Amino acid sequence: MTTGCIIFAQNTVGVDYVKLAVFAARRVKQFLNIPVSLATDSIDYLKFYPEHTEIFDQIIPISGNTNQQKKFYDGTLAFKTAEWKNLTRNHVYAITPYDRTLVIDSDFIVNSDTLVKALENNYEFQIYRKNFDLSGWRPDAYSRINQHSIPFYWGTVFIFEKTVSTESFFNLIEYIKTNWEYFRVVYKIDSPLFRNDFAFSIAIHIMNGSTEGDFGWELPGKMNFISDRDIFVSMEDSCMKFLVEKQYYPGEYTLVSTNDLDVHVMNKQSLTRFIDGGYGV
Amino acid sequence: MEDMVSKGFLIFAENKGNVDYVMQAYALALSIKATQTDVTSVSIVTNDILDDTYKQAFDQIIPIPWYDKAGGDLSAEHRWKLYHVTPYDETIVLDADMLMLKDINDWWWYAQDHDLLFCEKTLNYKGEIINDSVYRKTFTVNQLPNTHHALHYFRKSETAEYFYKTLEFVVNNWAWCYGKFAPEHYQDWLSMDLASAIALEMTGYNSSADLCSPFRFIHMKPGVQDWNPVPERWTETIPHIYTRHGELIVGNIKQYHLFHYVEKDFVADGNIISKLKRMIDGR
Repeated sequence: MTTGCIIFAQNTVGVDYVKLAVFAARRVKQFLNIPVSLATDSIDYLKFYPEHTEIFDQIIPISGNTNQQKKFYDGTLAFKTAEWKNLTRNHVYAITPYDRTLVIDSDFIVNSDTLVKALENNYEFQIYRKNFDLSGWRPDAYSRINQHSIPFYWGTVFIFEKTVSTESFFNLIEYIKTNWEYFRVVYKIDSPLFRNDFAFSIAIHIMNGSTEGDFGWELPGKMNFISDRDIFVSMEDSCMKFLVEKQYYPGEYTLVSTNDLDVHVMNKQSLTRFIDGGYGV
Repeated sequence: MEDMVSKGFLIFAENKGNVDYVMQAYALALSIKATQTDVTSVSIVTNDILDDTYKQAFDQIIPIPWYDKAGGDLSAEHRWKLYHVTPYDETIVLDADMLMLKDINDWWWYAQDHDLLFCEKTLNYKGEIINDSVYRKTFTVNQLPNTHHALHYFRKSETAEYFYKTLEFVVNNWAWCYGKFAPEHYQDWLSMDLASAIALEMTGYNSSADLCSPFRFIHMKPGVQDWNPVPERWTETIPHIYTRHGELIVGNIKQYHLFHYVEKDFVADGNIISKLKRMIDGR
């Protein structure tokens, strides 16, 4: 049985996801010690990162575009609207070279070996359901896809094994994506944007017979995250520092640090600034 | 002489105002017949006249005893009489505005070690355990058991008889009892839930409210659905569908066991009843 990681990177005008993927891949290799492959439609950009030959096990070309636009914040006061390419995630079943695959977003920064334990499990599909918002005060927007509806699962990180069930699951996501307008109405999702988290949540719910079930076993720990309203400042070894937005004081922040904690850094701009050499602020 | 049925469900129903509780009891009886494999006997306690269609769904139709309609008994609370009229050795009492969705045979197995067993735990339609700080403040601040009269079990026994006699006293002297046992967040109207909790407190049968028991139901009071804002009617907030296979999907989530729909017109359009009848006829 082969085990490895896949990171998706589809560059847009606003974000160099390949850069983030190179950074994230290093962390995976350091803490999880598994091969990492890159799924990308931006192969041309790899020339800017000559070290990629040592970092990546395989470069897997993908295609797929979207007309989706989304607001990307960079702290509480700045944002820009940019393209959001997120329609290829479910293709991972077909393209993965591994029997057991860890899939992570390029902005998910591994700082621990927590996921090693999950990679040793025999569950066919594991994903995060619980979350921890480092701000500590924002209302929990991620326990359900909305207050009237089903549990929320994070498409940011998951582990799957190639089985009949997981193949059906990814096919189901394709079906949901193709009929997104229908599903978003049925599940009372206000935004017309297709979002993998929602599609994964709906698919898991359907796989479980529209109730609680065993498909979608929870990954150990929680999905720790900062929103794009917060700012990633710096990191040293497995210690990360953030400025998280203050309640009632837009533009003011509180310094927070983490140790040995995997963190989903939604503010990609600050993560990019840090990788470029310096602080994320 | 008619043989005593040993186990069965008992539903109290008395039409009041515009609410057809007998029709609700009929729908519940059909849902029991459609889902239960072992215990399928259902009896209704009512003084309303049942038409032939309704009659077929019930194994026994039991008149409310000691009833004086002319004397204004219509608005009185009669549910303390259930112990005295049940035709069963072991009885599960259900509120009329419920639907049975799954076979609950294991509940009988659990209950057989008890003389009296109340449901303490309810869920909302999302499957979350309800920590009711909206409707049940008086239970918590007065440290009363969190009983739900809508679902409870009793066997013919000294314990259950004594409890029901105490319940009769509480119901008939509820204002005094509430003042004595539930003075904080005083509730100025009679409810069987609070009366049962006080009767349990008075008898010392608190363990009859057993947190580990499988007795639970889905409670659709809008205030316990973890919604903000809280609507008046849950049916106007989330969609629901009852399939021809007897599956109830609420807000895209499949419901299990026992569903307390609360809204008085939930089964009034006949859609659910006709599907239940087809399920039973198709067997």
